[in-house]
Amino acid sequence: MFANLDFGVIVSSLPYLFGQGMVFTVTLTALAASMGVVLGTLLAILRLSGVPGVSHLAKGYVELMRSLPLVLVIFWFYFLVPYIGAWVVRSPTPIQVGAFASALVTFTLFEAAFFAEIMRAGIQSIPKGQTAAALALGMTRAQVMRTVVLPQAFRNMLPLLLTQTIILFQDTSLVYVLSLTDFLGAASKVAQRDGRLVEMYLFAAVVYFLICFTASSLVRRLHSRVAIIR
Amino acid sequence: MTSTPIPGPDAPTPAGREATLPDDGLQQGPLIPPRTATTGEPMIAINAVSKWYGSFQVLTDCTTTVSKGEVVVVCGPSGSGKSTLIKCVNALEPFQEGQITVDGTKVKDRATNLPKLRSRVGMVFQHFELFPHLSITDNLTLAQRKVLGRSPADAEKRGLDLLARVGLSDHAKKYPGQLSGGQQQRVAIARALAMDPVVMLFDEPTSALDPEMVGEVLDVMVELARDGMTMMVVTHEMGFARKVADRVIFMDRGEIVEDATKSDFFGQPRSPRAQHFLSKILSH
Repeated sequence: MFANLDFGVIVSSLPYLFGQGMVFTVTLTALAASMGVVLGTLLAILRLSGVPGVSHLAKGYVELMRSLPLVLVIFWFYFLVPYIGAWVVRSPTPIQVGAFASALVTFTLFEAAFFAEIMRAGIQSIPKGQTAAALALGMTRAQVMRTVVLPQAFRNMLPLLLTQTIILFQDTSLVYVLSLTDFLGAASKVAQRDGRLVEMYLFAAVVYFLICFTASSLVRRLHSRVAIIR
Repeated sequence: MTSTPIPGPDAPTPAGREATLPDDGLQQGPLIPPRTATTGEPMIAINAVSKWYGSFQVLTDCTTTVSKGEVVVVCGPSGSGKSTLIKCVNALEPFQEGQITVDGTKVKDRATNLPKLRSRVGMVFQHFELFPHLSITDNLTLAQRKVLGRSPADAEKRGLDLLARVGLSDHAKKYPGQLSGGQQQRVAIARALAMDPVVMLFDEPTSALDPEMVGEVLDVMVELARDGMTMMVVTHEMGFARKVADRVIFMDRGEIVEDATKSDFFGQPRSPRAQHFLSKILSH
């Protein structure tokens, strides 16, 4: 059944697949992950703040995002962000933000909910005595969080944060619904153009597998390295 | 009225506790700058403090004073509220009734700048609580820089100076996890002293240590007491109490049952509960 397959199409489309598709995928993943971690950490702190309204709002946001399919959120923001933007800058017409910006905002906000849960677990894993000791030295709550709790929480949770980023790396392929060309989108376009669906989708699967499997193995090795000796 | 923190001649120390420090040993000179002698003025005034966890009362009408230069040992069975009481002094634990005044500043007062108050009250914990992600030097300098605003150079000088005084100069670049429990606790004491506190609180500083490391920590505390530091110490180490305490407070079920001078406490404890406690703790 594989007799009439032509793998030459892969070689000829490599510059397009990687030069454009993969660059897009990696860029979106890196930006959304770093911004998502920052926002997620903020959400985790708010949720653990114990301030009634704030804490519930953060919890509600996290629960909402985690309960919706990602594709739905991508659509939602694609149609909503222009109107929100218009409302923010008081413009009478919807703001053109472009598909990439829309995707970036979506992935950041969506992943932040997952990063928030990871960071919440990380913050809670730091013994109460650490906070007590830092407070006893005269530090403010903000200083304690910044210099004592978060650095330890972040280190403890680094493997989980990276694993979540690997999932994000795969999820970015959903941007095809916005007609954006990520790695899978690029492979798909070549596949349709040349009628080489099996070859291209096989190749895409192999690339995703190799990258994610290698990254996961590295994360596992990192896990034993970064653990703080107690 | 003046009381001098000199150990009584009748103070026998348990065998092995007099062992000299390992490592490079305590260096000569006081741990803290010399202070004016005890004035009898209250450093910590605890006045009718009561505390509840929900409907469970953990502290009942506790009243006592720690004068400047005085060493007060707080003892009692576990669950008697002694750790809770000492944590109320620097507001790590809130309390519902009564008032505590530290060097003239009210602890339970909205106008009080708690971080500022706490920076003047050193505290040493049962589980050391060094920051495991920071080197020993950074542990010693973090609060000096962030809270007191000292320059990194000044903070490091002060920190390393105190590290030498507790005999651990060689370990400045290590991380807490690489040190033994006794060494970690000595670093924790140095970290608290680096803030130049006016009073030191110790919350069972030797309870989490292996027996062979208790001595090295107590040695540092004895040194500190002899230098004139005002200290409030929750501990079961009766040898330490006999050696340097001016007064002993005995707590049971959230109440201060006995508040006596050292000689009275060890000589003739008045309450049956204290007598019972002492007979159990001193019998082995």
